[in-house]
Amino acid sequence: MAPHRYTVATDMGGTFTDLVLEDRTTDRVHIVKSPTVIDDPIRGILDAVDLAAAGIGVSRRELLAGTGTFVHGTTRALNAILTGTTARTAFLTTRGHPDVLLFREGGRVDPFDFTRRYPDPLVPRALTWEVAERVGADGAVVTQLDEAALVTQLGEIVAAGGEAIAVCLLWSIANPVHELRIGELIEQHAPGIPYTLSHRLNPIVREYRRACSTVLDASLKPLMTEYLDAMTRRLTAEGLAGRLLIVTSGGGVMDSAAVAAAPVHVIGSGPAMAPIAGRDVVDRTTGHQTVLVADTGGTSYDVGVVRDGDVSSTREAWLGAPLLSHMTGLPAIDIKSVGAGGGSIAAVGAGGLLTVGPRSAGARPGPVCYGQGGTEPTVTDAAVVLGYLDPQYFLGGRVALDVEAAERAIEQQVAAPLGFTTLQAAAAIMQLATEHMVRAIEDTTVAQGIDPADAVLVAGGGAGGFNATDIASRLRCSAAVIPDTGSVLSAAGAAISDLSSDFAASCPASTRDFDFARVGAVTDGLVERAQRFVASTGVATELVDVRLFADARYPHQVWEVEVPLPTLRIASPTDVGALADAFHKMHEKLFAISDPGSDVEVVGWRVRASCRTRTTPLGQVESGPARARTHRTRRVYFAGHGLVDAAVRSHDDIAPGEVVEGPAIVETPVTVVVVDPDAAATRASTGALVLRRNGADR
Amino acid sequence: MTLDGLQLAVLTSRMEQVVRAMANTLARTARSGVINTARDFSCCVLTGDAQLVATAESLPVHVMRGPDIMAGYTARTHPDLRRGDAYLHNSPYHGNSHAADHCILVPVVDPDGTHRFTVLVKAHQADCGNATPTTYSTSAADVYEEGALIFPAVRVQRDFTDVDDVIRMCRMRIRVPDQWWGDYLAMVGAARIGEREVEKLAADVGWDALEQYAGEWFDFSEQRVAEAIGELPAGRVTLGGAHDPFPGVPGGVPVSVTVDVDPVGGRVTVDLRDNPDCQPCGLNLTESTSASSALVGVFNSLPASVPANAGSLRRVEVLLRENCVVGIPRHPASCSVATTNVADRVTNLVQRAIAELGPGVGMAEAGLVQPPAWAVISGTDPRTGVPFVNQILFPGVTGGPGTPWTDGWLTFGHAGNAGMMLRDSVEIDEIHHPILVTQQRILPDTEGAGEFRGAPGALVEYGPTTAPLTLSYGSDGAVHPARGAGGGTAGVPARQRLRRIDGALVDLPASGLVQLLPGETVLSESCGGGGYGAPHRRDPATVAHDVAEGWVTPGRAREVYAVAVVAGRVDEEETGRLREAETSRLHDDVQRGER
Repeated sequence: MAPHRYTVATDMGGTFTDLVLEDRTTDRVHIVKSPTVIDDPIRGILDAVDLAAAGIGVSRRELLAGTGTFVHGTTRALNAILTGTTARTAFLTTRGHPDVLLFREGGRVDPFDFTRRYPDPLVPRALTWEVAERVGADGAVVTQLDEAALVTQLGEIVAAGGEAIAVCLLWSIANPVHELRIGELIEQHAPGIPYTLSHRLNPIVREYRRACSTVLDASLKPLMTEYLDAMTRRLTAEGLAGRLLIVTSGGGVMDSAAVAAAPVHVIGSGPAMAPIAGRDVVDRTTGHQTVLVADTGGTSYDVGVVRDGDVSSTREAWLGAPLLSHMTGLPAIDIKSVGAGGGSIAAVGAGGLLTVGPRSAGARPGPVCYGQGGTEPTVTDAAVVLGYLDPQYFLGGRVALDVEAAERAIEQQVAAPLGFTTLQAAAAIMQLATEHMVRAIEDTTVAQGIDPADAVLVAGGGAGGFNATDIASRLRCSAAVIPDTGSVLSAAGAAISDLSSDFAASCPASTRDFDFARVGAVTDGLVERAQRFVASTGVATELVDVRLFADARYPHQVWEVEVPLPTLRIASPTDVGALADAFHKMHEKLFAISDPGSDVEVVGWRVRASCRTRTTPLGQVESGPARARTHRTRRVYFAGHGLVDAAVRSHDDIAPGEVVEGPAIVETPVTVVVVDPDAAATRASTGALVLRRNGADR
Repeated sequence: MTLDGLQLAVLTSRMEQVVRAMANTLARTARSGVINTARDFSCCVLTGDAQLVATAESLPVHVMRGPDIMAGYTARTHPDLRRGDAYLHNSPYHGNSHAADHCILVPVVDPDGTHRFTVLVKAHQADCGNATPTTYSTSAADVYEEGALIFPAVRVQRDFTDVDDVIRMCRMRIRVPDQWWGDYLAMVGAARIGEREVEKLAADVGWDALEQYAGEWFDFSEQRVAEAIGELPAGRVTLGGAHDPFPGVPGGVPVSVTVDVDPVGGRVTVDLRDNPDCQPCGLNLTESTSASSALVGVFNSLPASVPANAGSLRRVEVLLRENCVVGIPRHPASCSVATTNVADRVTNLVQRAIAELGPGVGMAEAGLVQPPAWAVISGTDPRTGVPFVNQILFPGVTGGPGTPWTDGWLTFGHAGNAGMMLRDSVEIDEIHHPILVTQQRILPDTEGAGEFRGAPGALVEYGPTTAPLTLSYGSDGAVHPARGAGGGTAGVPARQRLRRIDGALVDLPASGLVQLLPGETVLSESCGGGGYGAPHRRDPATVAHDVAEGWVTPGRAREVYAVAVVAGRVDEEETGRLREAETSRLHDDVQRGER
């Protein structure tokens, strides 16, 4: 077996482990969905590998031995945080500031809802130690570090059973001398305990965010080191000779050893990759550079945005609900998640108002039609009643759906209280779910100043094809695109992602009086670190992109904007002019206003190195077992049209370029795509389906 | 034709989305920290006849009553209003909250020229031209001494273009005018986004349908609030309290509320008329904040699912009289501090009065403000030679009230914003101002005890680095603390002190302007929130957790909560004995009371 024949990408979620297998010799892609094994996630991954290997008729060992790159996205780190199973971590903070993690940055939602409790700090106060020291905003030492007191405190941490230590001091980003010394003292007096220094991990201003990332990183070190070691060992033992890469929150991949050294970077591993896949498919299908990438799961609807070819990222990534949980403190691909999915429960509340979600039937008991004990109607039940899903061909016929039970539930719990027929009620559930999804996307586009009319929608996930046309037309998007990898979008993104790493430093500067020498020293240092990283990847120079970014703002502004710069060094007044120009343009783009007469202040600098792991696009998905290819129709209900005969087509039977006029249903083994009566679907050469409302011709 | 349960849900979602788009835009584009960091702003949509439709995640005290008065006043004052207009409105005598909250109102006009809706953006300004560098002038005897520029619905745009006369006036009078100008641009931008979104919505469903929706949404909301009030115990309670003594009011400001709950009729009435006349200081409430602060107290006691809009407000009446410190101010009374201090007293009394009606309803009192940890600071930055003025907002102002469901929210701030605002980072404040924050921590044993305890108070200490610093604050709650409800106890009062260069601690007045020299610091201790329910009913394991975390000392756990915590664990036997003794003591008290 050729050692680089296959690329394998896995995305381990709470319910399913998705796998994308690409055969580089045939350019065919195989998709697998396999149950996640919570107690032994690596076994769950090997199960998925086995399924994929069986699909192409080779053994597990043959597949792994032929794999050049094995990419893994995992919710392991996030789950450990959410379930409180990370290491017992001590927090060292500047004296006088023990409550940085407790106070957070304030904020609350729903002013009249007093049933939500205040979140516990990431490290309890009982495991927080105040270090006698202080550095000022200008980097000058205000109070010397009391080393003797610190050594005593380290003794206390060991005695308290500390398994990891996080050090985040005020203004360590302006002068790291105290954090560095503490690092040395930890190695002497608490040897073997993993620790993280904030200025090294995440040199950003704002102590709460920096402290969060530091604490999370330290607390994940023991666990993730063990997990990644075990994974490397087992995959190697099973024959893997290629490279093991782990998906990061930033939408890139890192070598597993680098992840073990800074595991905080994989907290958002997983959903981060859907926009990467969406961008790639749309670029090759319609050519749009602004893409709204939505992934419909069982309980949530995840939205990411690609703007002018760049995947949008955020500085405010939350571990749970925004303002009610904690931030990770690190930039991440911006994924907004709302409680609307196939499992979202529909109900009629007080006063006769219809609600859909955020309560979900989840994987268990699931929708009523699954017959696993679910009693409350869901979006999926509505899809069955409307005729979208073939009850005999769900998940390729592996599961039979109970249509009557779904009808009964909707009739009794939604139609009767609203005075609707059962079909009207099912359509109403779908319409309200659509509304929630539109709202989630609009929150993102408005916040970023994006006009959806310039974008196309990518509808991924098992239930993404139910209402893709409706969502796209509500948003006034020109089209909706359903990739052939739509049901495993994150894994598909992982398969094509770049090896990347960020290097940041804080160094204030102003365009009014630019300090070339000081900034130059800082940015040169970052570029040098980035180039060392590039060399370590072994990727050829022509596939490498190293870019300098400035975190800049107008005077008095509190939030910064990240601006890509045309050069790696600010060497002349012309370069300063280019920086200011780039900032004004970015501000105008994001906020629709700019103030070109104003100075620009830079707070921090960031160098990002991206190394492409491939030069060719992902191949097309291999057809599943063909169904009876006779022309079929099904009775499907559409609001405003009633019950109509819809053509039922198999995805594989549609020729590239062929137009399928609605009303129609396009089936694949794992999902269906609904083509509304006034819409049409075209199969593109990339294998994606492009849905357009009639009359929308862009 | 009436809308069905689907149409009502969809249009409500879309109307809320209009407000969210406005809020999002403002938060992202404003210049001053008080808007873009603290998010001290609100957005809403009203009907053409000035009824509140949607408010999204606004600050309650900003919007429940006031935007309606302002929109009505604007329409009456400008019978020629048309598409493309925008109005700047901050008049405390015509519906605004206080002069520092600038509002931009944009009428949404259909193609036939009919005024269908109004969108409103309200944001607290970093400065509003007051005589002293603060947006909360506690001691001003009247609006002339206060000195704020007052704009009673002044047209500031026609045909989408600024009326430059107004802009120039502001630039001559508001401190750090570029900061104000940046915020003005952001506010107008947000209002225009709201206008555009309402127009889009009307294009999809039609103007008449949208108006019809508003009417039916009000009816639905009225029905929902009536049902929710039906679940409350009946009764009429009068409670009195007082704001602490301040300059101009040496005896403090007594406040009395009478709350009448009629579950059968589905109505709540709050009577604020039995209160003193307007006082010669900045503490007078406006018509907007008098009504809104009472309404917040009522809505804090209703399920969160009850929509707050003109429909539900039909069932909650607030009775006000003219020339009253908690009523309708008469020009030229100063209302500079109308959104916080006395307003919080009203909210606190209303929610505690409802708690008196029976178990499981109402709430304890929230901590009072605004201590020096929330001062407006000003001076000249020695690093740049440039003057600055801004309100700093440290999270060490805590004070959440105990409720029937949860402990007090730690960073609650005060009753009027209910924890919605964001707080400053120490590092960001130290970059932007020449200050050093020495410490910021919660204070043990300062919470109002209860089955659900209040949030503890907190200590913030800071001072200037190398140049003098002026701070302005007005801190209530040093004399009259936040009271508990349903058997819960009061939180520990606030206090503020100055640490001199020689280390000596000196008490500072409750309110005023203080100048600190390099080497001096201010120590701001905020109030604890009141507790809800009897402390000895608090879950012992939770008490032990509070002890382990240093919120409560073991001595207080034993004496107040009747929980013995030994080596971090609950001593079950001893706790049983303590709690039995506490129960029989309370029983004896009841017996004595009955005799």
